[in-house]
Amino acid sequence: MEVGEDFGPWLARQLQLTRMKQTELAEAVGVTRAAVSAWITGRAEPRTETINKIAEALKLDVGTLHTRTTDTLAGLPFTWYHRPGHADGGREFGNAAAFAFEADLEVLAREATQNSLDERRRGNEQPVRVRYTLNELTGETLARFRTAIRWDDLFPHYESAAAQDQKVGRVISAGLREMYERDRLVLLRVDDYNASGLTGDDYADGRFAAVVRRQLDSRKVDSGAGGSYGLGKATLWATSRLGLVLINSTLAEAHEGRTDRRLIGRLDLPWREVDGKPYAGPAWLGRPDAEADNVDVVRSWWADEDTVRSLHLDRESDDPGTSFLIVGAHDVASLAGARSDGDPGDDEDSLERMHRRLVQALGRNFWAAMTTGGDRQPLLEASVRTQRNGDEFLKEERVDPVIYQPARSRALQAFLGGNTVERITEVGQVAAVTVPLKVPDIEGRPGSGGEHRAVLLVTDASDADGRPNQVTAMRGNRMTVKTSRVPDLPLGTDPFQAVLLAGRAAGDGAPFAAEAEEFLRTSEPPEHNKWSQTEELRMRYSPSAHRRIAALTTATNKAVKELVAVQKEKKDSNGTGKVRKRLKVSGKAAAKGNTAVALPKLDDLDATVGADGAWQVTAEVKVPTGGDTWHMSPVAKLDVRSGPRPVVRWAELVAVSNCEVVDGVLHFAPGARRASFRGVTDVSTHTVRAALTGLVVELHTGRGDSA
Amino acid sequence: MRAYPYPRPSGPVTMRVTAVRLSGPDEAREDLDTKGYSVVEQVVALGRAERSDWETARLKLSATVPAREMETKGHWSEVTVVAVLAEKATNARTVARLEPEGPANREWTGSIMLVRPDHLDRATLSVHVVATVDGVPGRIIASSERDWMVDVTADVPLRDRQLDVVTVSFARAAEWLRPFRDAPWMVDTSGRMPTVRLNTDFDGLTALVQGAGTKVESLVGEMLLSQLCTDVWTAVFHTAIGDLEIEDDGTPLLPPDWRGEVLREMLPDVVPGRSVEDALREVHARRTGDGTWAELQPRIHYAATRRAEVPKALGETVRGIERLDQEATA
Repeated sequence: MEVGEDFGPWLARQLQLTRMKQTELAEAVGVTRAAVSAWITGRAEPRTETINKIAEALKLDVGTLHTRTTDTLAGLPFTWYHRPGHADGGREFGNAAAFAFEADLEVLAREATQNSLDERRRGNEQPVRVRYTLNELTGETLARFRTAIRWDDLFPHYESAAAQDQKVGRVISAGLREMYERDRLVLLRVDDYNASGLTGDDYADGRFAAVVRRQLDSRKVDSGAGGSYGLGKATLWATSRLGLVLINSTLAEAHEGRTDRRLIGRLDLPWREVDGKPYAGPAWLGRPDAEADNVDVVRSWWADEDTVRSLHLDRESDDPGTSFLIVGAHDVASLAGARSDGDPGDDEDSLERMHRRLVQALGRNFWAAMTTGGDRQPLLEASVRTQRNGDEFLKEERVDPVIYQPARSRALQAFLGGNTVERITEVGQVAAVTVPLKVPDIEGRPGSGGEHRAVLLVTDASDADGRPNQVTAMRGNRMTVKTSRVPDLPLGTDPFQAVLLAGRAAGDGAPFAAEAEEFLRTSEPPEHNKWSQTEELRMRYSPSAHRRIAALTTATNKAVKELVAVQKEKKDSNGTGKVRKRLKVSGKAAAKGNTAVALPKLDDLDATVGADGAWQVTAEVKVPTGGDTWHMSPVAKLDVRSGPRPVVRWAELVAVSNCEVVDGVLHFAPGARRASFRGVTDVSTHTVRAALTGLVVELHTGRGDSA
Repeated sequence: MRAYPYPRPSGPVTMRVTAVRLSGPDEAREDLDTKGYSVVEQVVALGRAERSDWETARLKLSATVPAREMETKGHWSEVTVVAVLAEKATNARTVARLEPEGPANREWTGSIMLVRPDHLDRATLSVHVVATVDGVPGRIIASSERDWMVDVTADVPLRDRQLDVVTVSFARAAEWLRPFRDAPWMVDTSGRMPTVRLNTDFDGLTALVQGAGTKVESLVGEMLLSQLCTDVWTAVFHTAIGDLEIEDDGTPLLPPDWRGEVLREMLPDVVPGRSVEDALREVHARRTGDGTWAELQPRIHYAATRRAEVPKALGETVRGIERLDQEATA
């Protein structure tokens, strides 16, 4: 049987939750207060019949008392707590961190997956599994969900917030309108498995508080982590039109003796006034915390399975990790796309588009983390699925890096599997070279820097890889930091893709990998989209430290060019380069000058071989402006591989439209733009049977028989 | 336009070189770097090899054919894909069969051997799809649109070629050059590629045509350069037209090497409004007496001037001088 936490702490919490005093319980059960105290401190355990009485007093069944995996529902149910308005009258009309990002699914996918990746459990070599589930609720299901989240308590707050003519207010009002008018609500759930989960205390430092209670708190403990600003989580709330995110977490380390189904909801609304009372903004869905100073404050609670299901938060497995349910998810970018297409109201399309955008965003940003090679597991597995009222609408789609980034994932795969070459001699090979990054000393710690060797991978690319000739740079978390074009490539360079693995990504053997990792992380701005000068870089290292990154870029571009391009020979020693340049032979006619005449041209040709073995030709001629003064003669020839083509005479040449045939020459009608004629070849002039050769028809100026 | 008496698929046939291995004496093997061939330019530069005494080059190829169309339309049976390596200058022609790879017969791969002594300069490499159509075997039903060039000497995979330019003192050079010591430059069209010799006895000539120095110098240099180019293009055109191979029926053939390329470039300006073959026939006829050669000279001169970008250089020079005048008076 599954057994939860110890009896003592469990009982203590039940008493708190039900606001029952030890004496009250003692009276109800018929024991002394000292006995209850002994149970709580763990000095004694109640006998079976006493347990039955305790169950009765707490309005719980006996089984729960034995397993102790859930809390009593007696006393206070979970409810919303809205932070009261600031005493100083300050008002916040939104969360500034949320404005650091666009409400774009691509950004959400990047930031949320990034967080999951950073919280991957290091103990095992298994990947963290991330799953995005879009679920569209309508009708009865939507109504049930609203009941579950205590919508009636929330509605006055939404009404008040939506009435404000502020940016956030307008978004909320649009979200409410969509839900009510179209009876539709899109839930987007982000699950991760084999991650840490939201561990730690409700209020004190820890992952839980960092995500649920705080802003700009980054709990990333690992220098290899992707995030460092604590901004990314704001995208979860920014993606919700209603500013509402519900969270269910399975913890990797027990908190209060438990790991399963830690629930909390957080609502981000702007300042508002409801029933004459001001509210500061955020609100939490949870169980009233008996220990808190303010009796209304709520905390996370350990929910039972039914509650979890009714909130659409049930997790697929017991593996630790967190589920974020974004209520009223929307995608500004794809909405903009819909408007330009001219079909703004197509829901089906919208769900499908969101699904597709998620898959693409995951493929584009996390191909490297999803790539495997040799006997190594990937860091990440990701999938996207779409449901309607919980039923499958679009099949679960596993994001495969090879589809989204064939060349780059091939490069990384070869590196991880140790199949790289020094120079590319066959298409499909991956070349690996190292480029230096001189990591500077941390200020005040001489000798803390050194020369790191980053790994540069280069391979040929196809159209499926997007823009060619790019270097994609990343560090230990294997997330694309920047993608930049290699400049000044000589003509005729084949399209390629390059991947620069710096810091921990360069492999275990790379010198100064940890130092480089830290250095590069310091040089990333909140968007994590480049390595450049940052305030932190200036302070921790030196004002000129960012030059080391420029040097890395230069070295990288040089190394790439050496691998893929033929360097311009420095043969210009005799100083004739400019003359040479002007004396190129290309076999292409010079661009048409204004003296060139536009001639009537054959535009369409329909030719068949008749029963008598003669070619029967119907041809259409395009006549340019002023070209109708030209007299053109059609010439038929047999197609041969080399040498002159044998000319075939016409047995018959008839004008069809807009022209006349005079002595085998076409005279076009004045002002005509198109003309057509018909012809039959003279079989006696065929040097071979018509069925055995191709036919070439040309228009010549002047007389046809001169050809 | 072309017409065929049998159905042909309309989808494209593409081909690329995927690897090149050179073999020399004593079992010397060398794999060419992929940068020695370019998919963009569709050129293989075998001159990049480390050793020049290689005897054969094995080119690995991969071709894509419109397999789905061929499957659904069903006109064709016994489909094979062949690669053809040919050079007009030497009349060499090598054919190799490719094998289907992967599902759906879309990709065909194989290799073709280039034997060094069979080739002089640039070979063309193309892919043809051959099938039985209406009971007639061995018909070409599709071909790659643009041929690859396999250049046996070039070390840069580029289609365009540059003429050789050398600097030499005519007065102290070989015997035959000495009589020309008063000429600033000479065009020699006798070699594999035409060579332009700049006479270093004219002090500062190369610096001038390189456009280095003051504004005035660069203006003069530009004019000089366009004059030099006009001379070069006139000379190479005359060489190209004067050395044509003639078919039995009197039709001149476009030369396979740089001469053909020069003619292709300049004939549209010499005889406008005609196909290159027509124009070539016309020019050849006039040169060999049937017509007036002299009447054609202004047109050849015009073509060379255009090719040398004289109008542009002149315009810029005039404007440049005006600007210099203004600066001087200001």
